[in-house]
Amino acid sequence: MKIRVDLDLCQGHSVCIDEAPEVFSVEDQLDDYPKVKVLNFQPSAELQNQVRLAARYCPNKVITLIEDNE
Amino acid sequence: MKTIPIVSGAKPDTGHIEEYSANFVQFLLRAEAECGVLAEYNLAGQETILLSGVEAQEFFFRGSDENLSRAAAYQAMVPVFGPGVIFDAPPDKMKSQLKIQVDALRYQNMKNYAPVIAQEVEDWIADWGDEGELDFMDEFLELTIHTATHCLLGKDFRDKMTAEFKTLYRDLEAGLQAIAFVDPYMQQPIFDRRDRARERLEEIITAMIDERRNSDIEYNDALATFMTGTYADGSCLTSTEVTGLVIATIFAGHHTSSGTSTWMLTELARHPKETSAIVEELNAIYQKDETLSHNALREMPKMESFLNEVLRVHPPLVVLMRRVINDIEFDGHAIPAGKTVAISIFGSHRNPEYFPNPEIFDPSRTEPETMFAYIPFGGGRHKCGGNAFALLQQKAIFSALLRRYSFEIVDQSNSYVDDLSGMVLRPKSPCRLRYKRRVS
Repeated sequence: MKIRVDLDLCQGHSVCIDEAPEVFSVEDQLDDYPKVKVLNFQPSAELQNQVRLAARYCPNKVITLIEDNE
Repeated sequence: MKTIPIVSGAKPDTGHIEEYSANFVQFLLRAEAECGVLAEYNLAGQETILLSGVEAQEFFFRGSDENLSRAAAYQAMVPVFGPGVIFDAPPDKMKSQLKIQVDALRYQNMKNYAPVIAQEVEDWIADWGDEGELDFMDEFLELTIHTATHCLLGKDFRDKMTAEFKTLYRDLEAGLQAIAFVDPYMQQPIFDRRDRARERLEEIITAMIDERRNSDIEYNDALATFMTGTYADGSCLTSTEVTGLVIATIFAGHHTSSGTSTWMLTELARHPKETSAIVEELNAIYQKDETLSHNALREMPKMESFLNEVLRVHPPLVVLMRRVINDIEFDGHAIPAGKTVAISIFGSHRNPEYFPNPEIFDPSRTEPETMFAYIPFGGGRHKCGGNAFALLQQKAIFSALLRRYSFEIVDQSNSYVDDLSGMVLRPKSPCRLRYKRRVS
């Protein structure tokens, strides 16, 4: 699995850090919305389900996943 | 460069403002039908270009702040939000304020909101009895001001809230009409009422801020977030700015949410088969999770598809605008600085390329792949920061409501229509529905 994020769309709602804190963090920006930071672009198999939930429940659809079989 | 076609019917001095004010929804549909992707019209001097179709809408949403200004296009909001707040603040301060506003709606805060909304619904229906009839437009205006103030400003504020506060909000909201986008300061009774309401709201909210500043109690709601938020230089927001953010946050969610709830309930009443399936879905969830946690609320496929279709057919905001600051170009057309560009959410949601038979209410539709066709909350970096809260609120309201009561329309089905007198779409009042307690 590979992770892509579109920072332009991110407003720091922080759903992702609730679902997968090992993979995502949200960092404050100067004069802009907080933005997601991917800590691990190729999460291990054990984390992948959490990552899928983070992508699914992100209110702004910031996170795109490329599954290995695609 | 290609020329941009001009919508027919312009009057010499005022352009299209008269037709636009009377029915801007139909006007925008006509503009697109007549001119295509780019359609120019004139609102009492403000030359505006409607951009239609997914590519043009993506161009609109991806435009940079330097080229396309929201602040310049939304000066009608300045007398509502107050001086120095959002569209009246310098760009860097505006960004900080919007960031502080969204901070209050972060996921970690949102988790506290679901039970608050459910409790408000319980209190609301407590004296309904077994059956009856209500004007739900009125009811939802009241319920959503309760939920918004309770979630955002805390229980102490909600408990002390008076009828005056609600009246003030209505006056404030009634000032937002098409004419306000031409000149929000002209002599008009609706604008006088708007300004008096804004002044009085500032008194009420400032008193509350002062009370909190002098108290040792620690609060954990949106008002606390606004009061402790800082600009880049470390300075705090002034009381006027905090008040402005409070007003703006409630304002953004009140008419939009109450209109959506009313349409939601009306469409549910019109579609008993789909409603039964939603109730079944709810019963299954409640069996596992009696208190209806935030986690339970986020996965309700049937309820969500129905809600998405309500937002497609009845998007609360019809039109979004930006002022062109630097000359731009789209598809071989020059769009010079000084003009306004607009997109029609209502029109986009009726694009047959993405929504076949667009006039048919069909919750089984699948969402288009592109992010720029289905846009009830706008898109791009300025997408409505309250979108997650708004959806959570609708799901919490209808989860509590539908399990207890069933609903039927009272009047002819086709008499439930949009009220076009304001800039936010909602059903025309009275929106009468009959309710009946469910027997389990």
